[in-house]
Amino acid sequence: MRHNFIDRYAALDSPLHILEPRTKLLAFTALIVGVLSIPATNGFLFFIYAFAIAIMMGFSQVPLNYIVGRALLLLPFILLASLAAPWKGYLGFGVLFVRAILCLILLILLTNTTRFAELLRGMRKLGCPQILAMNLSFLYRYLFVLTEEAMRMKQARDCRRTASAPFKEELKLLSSMLGTLLIRSFERAERMHSAMLSRGYSGDFPVISPRKFSWHDLAFLSVVTLFIVSTFCFTNR
Amino acid sequence: MTEYAVRIIQLSYTYPDGTRALEKIDLDVPCGERIAIVGPSGAGKSTLLLHLNGVLQGTGSIKILNQKLEQSGLREVRRQVGLLFQDPNDQLFCPTVYEDVAFGPLNLTVPADEIQRRVDKALSDAGLNKSIRSRSSHHLSLGERRRVSLAAVLAMEPAILGMDEPTSNLDPRNRHHLIEVISGLKATLIIATHDLELVLDVCPRTVLMDQGKIWADGETRKMLADSRLMDAHGLEVPLSLKLGFKSK
Ligand SMILES: Nc1ncnc2c1ncn2[C@@H]1O[C@H](COP(=O)(O)OP(=O)(O)OP(=O)(O)O)[C@@H](O)[C@H]1O
Ligand SMILES: [Mg+2]
Repeated sequence: MRHNFIDRYAALDSPLHILEPRTKLLAFTALIVGVLSIPATNGFLFFIYAFAIAIMMGFSQVPLNYIVGRALLLLPFILLASLAAPWKGYLGFGVLFVRAILCLILLILLTNTTRFAELLRGMRKLGCPQILAMNLSFLYRYLFVLTEEAMRMKQARDCRRTASAPFKEELKLLSSMLGTLLIRSFERAERMHSAMLSRGYSGDFPVISPRKFSWHDLAFLSVVTLFIVSTFCFTNR
Repeated sequence: MTEYAVRIIQLSYTYPDGTRALEKIDLDVPCGERIAIVGPSGAGKSTLLLHLNGVLQGTGSIKILNQKLEQSGLREVRRQVGLLFQDPNDQLFCPTVYEDVAFGPLNLTVPADEIQRRVDKALSDAGLNKSIRSRSSHHLSLGERRRVSLAAVLAMEPAILGMDEPTSNLDPRNRHHLIEVISGLKATLIIATHDLELVLDVCPRTVLMDQGKIWADGETRKMLADSRLMDAHGLEVPLSLKLGFKSK
């Protein structure tokens, strides 16, 4: 049963992985802002950004098909959101779409080159309120509780069901399973929370070997800053 | 004067759905003692253990190492009391085994090299070899998960250790190993179990629970050999006592 769907590749050791989480948070935020502020008519800049992101993807060692798969998974939402801006015509739609895709890939890169606990720590250090970080951490922890419970229930059902029932029956079964799933995962999450408390949990997820700020970070930050500043100058010329 | 690790006075607990699980429990456990809690399914053993570090809070009073168990002092108490849950699925929540075992010590802000040492020791005490460290807890067999949970608790080096069914789902070799490890611990032990041979081996004192109450509290060999008492509470005199083995 797989539960690490957000940060499956976060434990690799690529040049991007070894950066301190704060570095990445800042740099990726800056890049996202950069993508969002590209003027709609400037096709060349979009290309430059895409190229830069592709380079980072190469460095990150996260498999390409994984990134593409993740992006495809969220594609429907992006399409929907892009369609919600009809007044801009085809061009507006296209630009919105490309922007969203680029930002999405940046986010996938960020979460797959940084362990979730480290990401949260970085956010905390950058002044994010603890309550927000905590909520995110629980979201992350309990996502897999939910999927695991669902898988177990499906297994149990499949074992006891010999023939397929009429559609209506199926639907009824499914809805009752969903209800049970909710209650079960709620109670399970409760018990896991007590297990965490029993082992001294007090709101912050500890990290075993935190990354330290080093010259890598400095180099990366300077390159990103340089990149963003120069593209900015380029557009305002 | 004896020092008490745990003093429970008139503890009662009712689950939110109205199930009365504990009924005026009184129990004193001196420091360093090893006691067993036995009783049929649904007797309230697990419920009682969950009170030891404030996971559940009933009415009555509980003192841990002379400290009254209150909302405000829970963090301190949780440093002292380690709990091995009955269901290992509830106890493991980190991506890898290593992280799970290190979770407790990290929260106690133990220095890094000390953490390394504790995790190694806990894993080997629990009978796990090093290759398991980087695996995901959720892909392990039930017995392996139980041992990882045990390691996670041992790594905290608690003064009081409450264990709920530590030997269930263990194969005979690991069961023996576990009993050896438990016997070597310095902590005060409270073990809830159906494994009466384990009780005979490890705990000089036994408490018998049924329907949320304590029915007997005394010397293990005497109690477990009392066939009338055992029958009345759905238990069975252990084979080794019946056959007269284990005379120490
Ligand atoms: N979350 C819960 N909600 C409601 N009732 C519960 C809950 N957990 C346990 N109970 C009830 O409380 C009583 C005591 O349960 P407990 O789990 O403490 O028994 P136990 O002695 O540990 O049994 P076993 O040997 O089977 O583990 C039982 O009647 C049980 O049905
Ligand atoms: Mg129990």
